[in-house]
Amino acid sequence: MKSKAPFRFFLIHPKVVILEWNLKPNQFLLSDLIAFKNKIISHFKDVIQVTQGYHSLMVFYKNEVSKETEEHLNSLYESLVQTSLKKTKLWKIPVLYNLEVGPDLKSLAQALQISPASLIEQHYSVIYQVQFIGFLPGFLYLNGLPKSIAYPRKTTPTPKVSRGSVGIGGEQTGIYPQESPGGWHIIGKTPYPLFQPTKKHPCFAKAGDRIEFYPITESEFTTISEGISAKTYKIIPQ
Amino acid sequence: MIEVLHPGIYSSIQDAGRLGSQSIGVPISGAMDRVAMQWANSLLNNPLDSAVLEMSFKGPKLKFHEATTIVLSGADMKPRLNEKKIANNHPVAIKEKDILHLGTAYHGCRTYMAVAGGIQSPLILGSRSQCRGITPDTIISKHKLISFNKTPFLQDKGARVHIAAPLENKKDIPVFKGPEFHLLSEVAKKQLLENRFTISMDNSRMAYVLKEKINVTLPSIWTAPVLPGTVQCTTGGVLIVLMRDAQTTGGYPRILQLSDQGLNLLAQKSTNDSFYFSITPLNE
Repeated sequence: MKSKAPFRFFLIHPKVVILEWNLKPNQFLLSDLIAFKNKIISHFKDVIQVTQGYHSLMVFYKNEVSKETEEHLNSLYESLVQTSLKKTKLWKIPVLYNLEVGPDLKSLAQALQISPASLIEQHYSVIYQVQFIGFLPGFLYLNGLPKSIAYPRKTTPTPKVSRGSVGIGGEQTGIYPQESPGGWHIIGKTPYPLFQPTKKHPCFAKAGDRIEFYPITESEFTTISEGISAKTYKIIPQ
Repeated sequence: MIEVLHPGIYSSIQDAGRLGSQSIGVPISGAMDRVAMQWANSLLNNPLDSAVLEMSFKGPKLKFHEATTIVLSGADMKPRLNEKKIANNHPVAIKEKDILHLGTAYHGCRTYMAVAGGIQSPLILGSRSQCRGITPDTIISKHKLISFNKTPFLQDKGARVHIAAPLENKKDIPVFKGPEFHLLSEVAKKQLLENRFTISMDNSRMAYVLKEKINVTLPSIWTAPVLPGTVQCTTGGVLIVLMRDAQTTGGYPRILQLSDQGLNLLAQKSTNDSFYFSITPLNE
């Protein structure tokens, strides 16, 4: 077993520590980050929460951190056995891809020199992985977008992107959990509620989970939307 | 109940925020000036983090439908109760049908109103703080009713408050070095720590964009966690100070971090106000 990559310990605030790995985001780093995050939370009683980025963690303490904090984190990290993401869930998200809800479908396909149908098919035929959640409540940072459909963000953001919009920005794809300004190319929309603040678990997915999009028709979109309002439709992970 | 006759420019219910839900992208939120909020609550013997009304720039006109006691703190909005002047930082007895009228903010830009027993609005993810995407409303609006706990206020004998020099007069904002501070050139570091910076029109509870740039050519970073008080530097050298409703992650280098005091001080400053970053050792 090769020894773990060391992390940089940085005190950003008297009660907040950043742990950062000098690595390009990859599968092994992601499983290490998730396992270490969970271990920190279960091991240290004075930790309020741990948030995550592509290659770093942020640890929030109840009180000011002590001189020993770095050492404690280091030895906890060393004790971590080699990790792999086993218990992650696969979520299948219904998406309506058309020009009405995906106003940039045509222009993006043109820019990529492919047909809109090919763009759509390439978008839903891969499995994405949730790296972490941030930016907006319930916004999933997904990796796995095929390089062939990656395209730089718009130079001027659209003032209003509607809730549920599915977009491509650079090498990322994602869903807007609420109406927001946005610079991504919007190619479709999901009726699925991505963030429900009054629920016990407001966000359905976790870092490490996998996401698959599947195309639906307008009438399926309506049926699912009605099912969501009536609380009869549930998205069930695999 | 308190009826909103006029909401003012930007008034919202705030408490100590939602620390603990940031891993699902929820902003921390809460009162911009925590010191002023806690001060008002302390004068009413409320728990320090009880929900208060935060009023920015120009205050609302409110009608009380029940008797209570209130305290105003923070910026001076020249408050009038039934058209008679009242003072900040003192408990004020309110009778049924009283009308409280707040004007333009002086000596700061945010005023807090605490009510004996605290404002009662739905608790969402452990907080009553109004925030877009989390609570049904982001601000209070005309004709809305605000409820509060009916707790009689028992004034301590001899409880007289002497507030320190108004916070907003301080031009030095204490900061720590951010995790990407070391990426700056010596010239840029000097500019950052010696120049005066001015708040642009683009300022809100989410972030303050500053007018003066620094000379940098910084790469963007892998998206990483940020905090209220994090100072981001765009690739073009524009400085963005994240405030209480900030997003939880960002892709710009984090060159400075305001201390809690720095964040409370900046919360009372607004468009065209200027200040200096004053570095404080923390992570040497």
